[in-house]
Amino acid sequence: MTGRKAGLISCHTCHLICPCPDLPSPEFHQCPRCGTRLRVRKTNSIPRCWALVLASFILYLPANLVPITTTTVLGRPSKSDTIMSGVIYFLDSGSWYIALIIFIASVVVPLMKLFILTFLLTSLHFGWDWLPLERTRLFRLTELVGRWSMVDIYVVTILVALVRFGAFANIEAGPGAAYFAALVILTMFAAESFDPRLIWDRMEDHNA
Amino acid sequence: MPDDPQKDELPRDDAPTAAIRPSKRLSIVWLVPLVALAISGWLLYKSWSEKGPLITITFKNAERISEGASKIKYKDVDIGEVETITFSPDMKQVVVKARIDKVAEPHLTDNTSFWIVRPRITAGKISGLGTLLSGSYISMEPGHPGTQRRNFTGLEEAPFITTDNPGKYYILKAEGLGSLDIGSPVSYRQIKVGQVVGYGFDDSGQAVHIRIFVNAPHDQQISTNTSFWNASGFELNLDATGIKLDTESLTSILSGGISFDLPPQGRPGTIAKENTTFELFSSRKAVNEIKYHLTDTWQVYFNQSVRGLTVGAPVEFQGIKIGEVSSINLKFESITMSFRTPVMLRIEPERIFGQDPDFNTTDGQAILNTFITRGMRAVLKNGNLLTGQLLIDFDFYPNQPAQKITYEDAIPVLPTRQTELQLLTDSLSTILNKVEKIPFQQISEDLHALLKTTNTAIAQIPVQSLGEDLRATLKAANTTMTHINTMAETVNTQTTPAITAALEQLRTTLADMEHSLGSDSPTNHQLRQTMRDISTAVRSLRSLSDYLDRHPESIIHGKEDEMP
Repeated sequence: MTGRKAGLISCHTCHLICPCPDLPSPEFHQCPRCGTRLRVRKTNSIPRCWALVLASFILYLPANLVPITTTTVLGRPSKSDTIMSGVIYFLDSGSWYIALIIFIASVVVPLMKLFILTFLLTSLHFGWDWLPLERTRLFRLTELVGRWSMVDIYVVTILVALVRFGAFANIEAGPGAAYFAALVILTMFAAESFDPRLIWDRMEDHNA
Repeated sequence: MPDDPQKDELPRDDAPTAAIRPSKRLSIVWLVPLVALAISGWLLYKSWSEKGPLITITFKNAERISEGASKIKYKDVDIGEVETITFSPDMKQVVVKARIDKVAEPHLTDNTSFWIVRPRITAGKISGLGTLLSGSYISMEPGHPGTQRRNFTGLEEAPFITTDNPGKYYILKAEGLGSLDIGSPVSYRQIKVGQVVGYGFDDSGQAVHIRIFVNAPHDQQISTNTSFWNASGFELNLDATGIKLDTESLTSILSGGISFDLPPQGRPGTIAKENTTFELFSSRKAVNEIKYHLTDTWQVYFNQSVRGLTVGAPVEFQGIKIGEVSSINLKFESITMSFRTPVMLRIEPERIFGQDPDFNTTDGQAILNTFITRGMRAVLKNGNLLTGQLLIDFDFYPNQPAQKITYEDAIPVLPTRQTELQLLTDSLSTILNKVEKIPFQQISEDLHALLKTTNTAIAQIPVQSLGEDLRATLKAANTTMTHINTMAETVNTQTTPAITAALEQLRTTLADMEHSLGSDSPTNHQLRQTMRDISTAVRSLRSLSDYLDRHPESIIHGKEDEMP
């Protein structure tokens, strides 16, 4: 028994359970409490998610290839760093923990998120009813961890704002930062547009 | 739950379920990946299309150049970046791999040069100071178009001349480099107009070729007649006009330099073409002296010591320099078992005949022959009394025995004349010789005989009677003299004192007069006082008459008290 079968819709905003018997209907239903448009499942969840994941994958390339910061320090020619070169720089200079943080936050997490979403979408596409609980947990993990990808953007923003000593030392954000920020935002939207209930819907159809 | 009885009453299970048809219309969300694709694709295309060639530059060392950071610049604009720095296989050099922007790709040719810009401080120049702060970079100079290349050998120093500098290159031929170096200034009237850009031996290895560059428009000053000289250091002249210090710029003193100008009285001539070869003189003085291309060799023999004559001593004609001594030798002649000192003279005929391009040396020989027949001779003269330096002077001595030019190995041998000192010595000895030849013995004997004869003749004269007459005459004369004496004495004792007294009296009178009439005499003083009194009296009289004129009644009423 599911809410959908019982003709009940949970409001996405205030989670109020409303009975909506004639689903889907040409008119739309409104949440009687908060006025949100009621939907059984997130609208167009799978294609949206696919589109955003794909866009994220595409942006991942320039985000990692284009310099994210340009550092000018007295007596040294200005040096442009991509995410990976920054990680390598910290690793070389012995700060392996900073290197690890940046690596995890900026490389591992977005990639992981994208791969998990791809995996989930593929599983839905082919209608697998395999380990639904674990897949749901994976999704929750992406939501949990996804926001940390923004750490790198924060670091860049703070550095750019703080290190402004004219000719002595100067850090400027590179175009890579914009690509990276766009990538992180898109993955967040992708995760947001994904409806984990679809995993269970599939199980339902099977059982029916 | 909203209360809707109509809906509740509807039998839900009986109603046909509406088919859910997925929307065929593509969602607008697909625009997102499209935009992302477009941006990334454009970026990729841009970086791919702008990605220039990877070039290899070999340097001796990569001081202050760093991987992934150092730039390649042309005119201070980035046109590339160093990607990697590795060693050459033999570890002797560093190999810098750099990515050059596509715009510069056509300029990567044989003539392109690269060098590392570092701070440089030399005597004449400070450059690249900016790199102290910004780090070194590799500078590129495209050069003239040539065949494409990707492997380059970096220069150790910046080339001094860049291709966009208009100007001309010239080659100077010198005996040695002196204190010149690459970068030494070339100045025209103390203004720097170019510099030395390179040097090396000429093909024979006997001379140095110095390559210079003169910036436009100063290259227009360089004509085929221009003389170049080494302006290194300074020149101190001490002569009759005083001390004269001749220097070029301070830089030239420190690091050497080249100057050029037209020789005095030189005509500009045609503008020299690029890569014209000039001679580099050792000093400005040398330019003024050695501007003669024709030289002639003469030879002279002196039958006397040539001590004090040195190579380089001037050869003069009536005091004007016409050449110099080129060599002095000692020659042993086995036939006569004697020594001779042939002196070679380098004569510059142009000093005598001018720089006439049509002048022929054979003409000169003919003229010379004429001169010799007219009595031209070479003489050793004292050039400097203190140092005893000698010079050779040619002059005409008309009373000389006729002599002709002889030739030794086709070199004309000119007749000489002895020195004046030598001539004087010769004359003295001639006189002495003549004196020696006088028969003094004979003369004294003859004289003796003569005296004897005279003595005898005198003894025979009647001295007695002659003496008496003489005595009477003398007595008469004596009496006359006594009379004169007495008269003179009278004048002396009587007349003279009287005159003296009169004069004395006159002097006293004059002194008195002077005393009474002198400027500080009482008479004078009193006179002045009186005059002043009179002047005051007159003034009083005038004021009185003035007053009376205005107040005639005062004669009757007396003077009124004036109102204040």
